[in-house]
Amino acid sequence: MKYVLPLTHPLLQTVDVSVKLSGLQILDNVSIGVPEGVVTGLIGPNGAGKTTVFNVMSGFVKPDAGVVRYEGRRLEHIHPHHLTRMGISRTLQGVGLFPSLTALDNVMMGASSKARAGIVAQALAMPWVDRERSRLREQAIAVMTELGVEGEADRFPSELPYPIQKRVALARALVSDPKVLLMDEPAGGIGAADMKDLERLIRSWVPERTVLLVEHHMELVMEVCDLIWVLDAGKVIAAGTPEQVRNDPAVLAAYLGDEGA
Amino acid sequence: MTTFIDYLLGGVSSGAIIALMALAIVLIWRSTRVVNFAQVGQAMFTTYVALTVRDATGNWIIALLAAIAAGAVLGLVVHWLVIRPVKRVDTSGAIIATFGVLISLQALAGMLWGGDTRGYAPPVSNDGIQLAGRIWPFSWYDVLVIGVTIALVIGLTLLFTRTNIGLAMRASAFNPEVARLSGVRVSRSLAYGWILAGMVGAIAGVLVAPTSQVSPNSFDILLVFAFTAAVIGGLDSLVGAVTFGIGTGLVISLVSGYSDSSNAPVVALVLLALNLLLKPDGVFGHHHSRAV
Amino acid sequence: MHKLMMLPGSRLVQHAAIALAIWVALTRLNQSVDPLLSYYLALVGMYATAMFGMTILVGLSGQVSLGNGALMAVGGYAFALTSLNWKTVPILGLPWNAVWSVVFAGIFGILVGLVIGGLAARLKGPYLAGLTLGVAVGVPAIANRFPGLFGGENGLMLTVPYPQGGYDASAVDTGPADTGADAIPTEAPDLPTEQAPIGGESLAPSDLLTVDDLGGAVSSAAPSVAPSDLITPDDLMGATGAPIASMPAEPSALASAGTDLGSTASGGVDAGSVDVSAVGGLILEQWQATLSITMACIMGFVALNLVRSRQGRTWQAVRDDSIAAAVSGINPSRSKVSAFVVSSLFAALAGAVFAQLLTYVGPGAYGLGLSLSLLVGIVLGGRASLLGAIIGAVLLVWLPVVVDRLSADRGWPEPVTNNAPNLLYGLLVVLVVLLAPGGITGTIRQSLAPVLRRRD
Repeated sequence: MKYVLPLTHPLLQTVDVSVKLSGLQILDNVSIGVPEGVVTGLIGPNGAGKTTVFNVMSGFVKPDAGVVRYEGRRLEHIHPHHLTRMGISRTLQGVGLFPSLTALDNVMMGASSKARAGIVAQALAMPWVDRERSRLREQAIAVMTELGVEGEADRFPSELPYPIQKRVALARALVSDPKVLLMDEPAGGIGAADMKDLERLIRSWVPERTVLLVEHHMELVMEVCDLIWVLDAGKVIAAGTPEQVRNDPAVLAAYLGDEGA
Repeated sequence: MTTFIDYLLGGVSSGAIIALMALAIVLIWRSTRVVNFAQVGQAMFTTYVALTVRDATGNWIIALLAAIAAGAVLGLVVHWLVIRPVKRVDTSGAIIATFGVLISLQALAGMLWGGDTRGYAPPVSNDGIQLAGRIWPFSWYDVLVIGVTIALVIGLTLLFTRTNIGLAMRASAFNPEVARLSGVRVSRSLAYGWILAGMVGAIAGVLVAPTSQVSPNSFDILLVFAFTAAVIGGLDSLVGAVTFGIGTGLVISLVSGYSDSSNAPVVALVLLALNLLLKPDGVFGHHHSRAV
Repeated sequence: MHKLMMLPGSRLVQHAAIALAIWVALTRLNQSVDPLLSYYLALVGMYATAMFGMTILVGLSGQVSLGNGALMAVGGYAFALTSLNWKTVPILGLPWNAVWSVVFAGIFGILVGLVIGGLAARLKGPYLAGLTLGVAVGVPAIANRFPGLFGGENGLMLTVPYPQGGYDASAVDTGPADTGADAIPTEAPDLPTEQAPIGGESLAPSDLLTVDDLGGAVSSAAPSVAPSDLITPDDLMGATGAPIASMPAEPSALASAGTDLGSTASGGVDAGSVDVSAVGGLILEQWQATLSITMACIMGFVALNLVRSRQGRTWQAVRDDSIAAAVSGINPSRSKVSAFVVSSLFAALAGAVFAQLLTYVGPGAYGLGLSLSLLVGIVLGGRASLLGAIIGAVLLVWLPVVVDRLSADRGWPEPVTNNAPNLLYGLLVVLVVLLAPGGITGTIRQSLAPVLRRRD
């Protein structure tokens, strides 16, 4: 069954995307739309292909069939490093911080697409390189303050507790001031108090930003999302408001099957 | 045309030796995912052992056996003392460590046996065979080299397909976790890979000695050729290593014949670069896409 | 400190001050030591220049390369060929000056670095190491392939663009120089004189290059340079029979003999950056050390800027996690190529200096051994630290000297003496990788970290 939600002009969408990796059909004709200015969730049991959808959207995986559209335009030959320039930012599963950089430097790396100083100017330590650096630094500190981690600026990731690392990683994704934020399991490994913060944060971004999140944590998804897509075994099996999805028998069946596994 | 055939014939036995050295590199890559840049250093060292034993006994076979034994010990020692402790720290570290071993072995050989180049008389004639009214660029020693190589390849094939040790080694290389769960002693299997590679490398060293002579650095160029062959073959594939080892030998012989032997390293470099550019995982290798 | 960092241009001032302070200190040192120590200082500066590039390539960018010795050859040959063949600067038409040769060496280094780096950026760990190993072996072989252009196995002899009037060649042969450096003996009395230079035998391409080899390189090369109406038989006798202590003095004899080449280049290296009045009092080794120290300080300044810039952290980010780097907006392959190109520039400039220290370029001097030396130095000093590069450079020059002294004291046999430094290097590399991957600087920093933290 092919499930299509009637969405007019989604900001970001996959159209009939299929992906095969070493003989396995990971995604099968997946069409998912992310409407502008709301929080969209992508859920499904393990191995449903959620992260692969992210990877297709961010250019890490080239679909065997189908296309990705952003702002109505077809995205072709995109490389992951082009995303932030287009206003799309992505967090990775886990934290994915750079272990040899301080928290502040990690966050500043997220603003790479905004940096203009070339390698020669940096090699000669031209004054405008310093000016740019202090500007990016201020922006990074501002985002870290927003997430309550400005006090950890000079620490290395290995010195920080996991939930703080996750916040730093989030700050790195936010510092490029993205229009769209793709969040891969933001709630993974964090406690109840942090979860409440996260909920509040995500809701505070809309409608200025558009959010798509992949998440296992049902409570967070149901609280925070306006729209939810459900994947199972590489296919879209349901979509709708949290209420609709909660009561969808196909979703229950997929998740019960997953519980049994 | 006859020159072309002559050049080809001249390349077969050097190709066989490159194939053996490439085999040694592949054996270790399969077992521990490390390219052992010290491989020719080990082979150089064991060839000096062979030289010493041969000086004492005058017997080529006993010297070869001594080299093989020394190769096994050296392979085991390098694995235990250097590679096993370093492997998980960082990948750059493992590469650098093998170069550290190479430098140490070359210096140690220089200390023990001096820096002079020494000859290694072949056990059978190295002169071209006279047949059908002409002298062919092919000697009885070439026949011996090729014979030993074929025997080794057959032996290794049997080992990996017919024996428990060989199966355990393949399982450990392919999927250590699963192998461990099915009762394979993985770390022991990995050590066998290093021992086996050490022995194969030792044989290659003794076989190449009469043509290249022996000095602490005289095998360096062999490392480049063997690495080229192993990489083009896919680093994972024994068949690839042998095929492209012999192929590399032929190409080098042709290039040296038609132009100049000093072109050989450049040609190997070009082959390697083209291969890495066009097919980064080699001709026989498997493509592993990295998970995000 | 943080306040200062915020001021535009403060890094420029800070880093320039560091580089200048080191330059002044080393220049003072250079003027107060004997010629042999000056020559060692020159070697340290040359190694350090190349190894700053290794810090960036191997340390920050995480690409283990053995090609940098070959890239030094690119710089050395570019320097040699342009300074031997060009009377004016092509296109610009300006009169020739050795600084142009250095510039061209740098440009060639960047171009070759782009080619190899473009290839290398696609490769992971062992593939890259293997490819660059091929470069290290293959590129010097190219010199043999075109003997007409590159001088073949024997290489090309050069003169050092030594300032006119600053140096009287006969002074070296006869004793104290009469140019104000008369306190400096040409043969350091406290050095082991029984150490004979090792001839061609030590020139096997992959020997780790030691000071001994440099002597060997020059002395073995000299007799076979065919167009040597520049060199008198006496010079050659002096060269080949000389003990190591007089080794550095020997190239100067060649330099002074090469009259027509000497006059071509007699404009000298940019004298504007050097105190000209001091130059008058320098003997050749001190002049070579001045060149080398100046290059090392300029490039050290550049390296310091880069290491502490966003670019430096970008290289580290890609090394740590190329996927996270990509989603942060960094192009990982571009970052890797840029590290390669930058390190090629450093290597080529070091190669140009090396050519002037040897007064010779040849495949033997730039072989696999040189590449391995650079790797050894950077690993021992500390892979990701510029200070580590300097410490590594000192170790590469100093350890063989220590071994020579020990050997002289204890009467070690020659094969032991010749190979002890390399054995030590090899074992130390393995030990450092196993026990202290950060090298000397990394280990010190690690043990000081708790102390520094508390002070914050």
